[in-house]
Amino acid sequence: MVLSGWEAVFFWVFSIAAIFAGLLTVMARNTIHSALFLISALVSVAALFILLHAEFIAGVQILVYVGGVMVLFLFVIMLVNVGSEERGSEEIFNRPRQVTTSVIFCALLVAGLVYAVNKGYEGLQGRDQGKIEAAAEQAQSRDRNLPRSATGTSGITNDSQRLGGVLYRFGSLPFEIASVLLLVAIIGSVMLARTLKQEAAVDDVDPDVLQKEATHDAELAEVQQEPIE
Amino acid sequence: MQFLLPKLFSPAFALLFQEATGGHLATAWQKAQHPDLSKFLIIGALLFIIGVAGVLTRRNIIVIFMSIELILNAANLNFIAMSRYLQDTGSVNAVAGQIFAVFVIVVAAAEAAIGLGIVIALYRNKETIWVDEIDILKW
Repeated sequence: MVLSGWEAVFFWVFSIAAIFAGLLTVMARNTIHSALFLISALVSVAALFILLHAEFIAGVQILVYVGGVMVLFLFVIMLVNVGSEERGSEEIFNRPRQVTTSVIFCALLVAGLVYAVNKGYEGLQGRDQGKIEAAAEQAQSRDRNLPRSATGTSGITNDSQRLGGVLYRFGSLPFEIASVLLLVAIIGSVMLARTLKQEAAVDDVDPDVLQKEATHDAELAEVQQEPIE
Repeated sequence: MQFLLPKLFSPAFALLFQEATGGHLATAWQKAQHPDLSKFLIIGALLFIIGVAGVLTRRNIIVIFMSIELILNAANLNFIAMSRYLQDTGSVNAVAGQIFAVFVIVVAAAEAAIGLGIVIALYRNKETIWVDEIDILKW
């Protein structure tokens, strides 16, 4: 897997964009700005996925992360009060000693990981040299046989088709379990985000707690007097 | 990129440059023109560590959640880069990495929904999103 020409240019553009957007996500004072920078980091990573011939994952990333999860984040940011952070009256980082320690730790981790990746990749390359060359020839002949697109300028790959086939053939049980996980997540977040009044309306609160809260909340007292049967 | 270099540096200057740096920068430039698996892994590692730094240093619980999303995305990048490498070496089950990435995205979505539900409940009870003020369980 060696990129060259324009692919290499796009690789550097999108990887530098992803890293800078990631850094700004962590360092931005305004939480909304953080969320927007995270969106640009996720879009850059999706572009890197396309360079790696994973078009389906890139599409899922844009739809689920950018279209779903980040919109949820933006809604929650608007629900909670972050005004003091924006005005600069609150410190956005932990105390200096903790920040220094964690930055030193992260620098060591960067050095270790970059060294390990370079060292390990040399060994991997040495081991797989023959296989890569043999597979490259096969891939070239396969690419020539791909159906052409409507404009005739490029081939239509079958990567997504292969992914779908493997997902349903070998991963159908985890796929079903993932759907149950999503169902649990929906129910869990609805349960967690209820107010005390909503909980009282379905008679889901400890009576003592309700009694105590009702003394200084008129609406709760009403709910308490006329429970839903 | 390879067509930009001759325009920027005349050949004689490029030769001088190569002599002065002992050829190290020239080989680095050669490698940068042809990014391979290791470059993707390093980008993934950097994104991961930026996310770890965010979790460790920030006080805002929502930004900490966003840093966790960044960490999961770095893991996805590694999975997919390795999956592409396995496709190139003609491995049997080469798209397993992409399937893992799909499940990582599913779990990240579930985690975000639950986590943000907890943030809302917490804000309703404690009126704060600063993690160092959420210490009821401490003593």
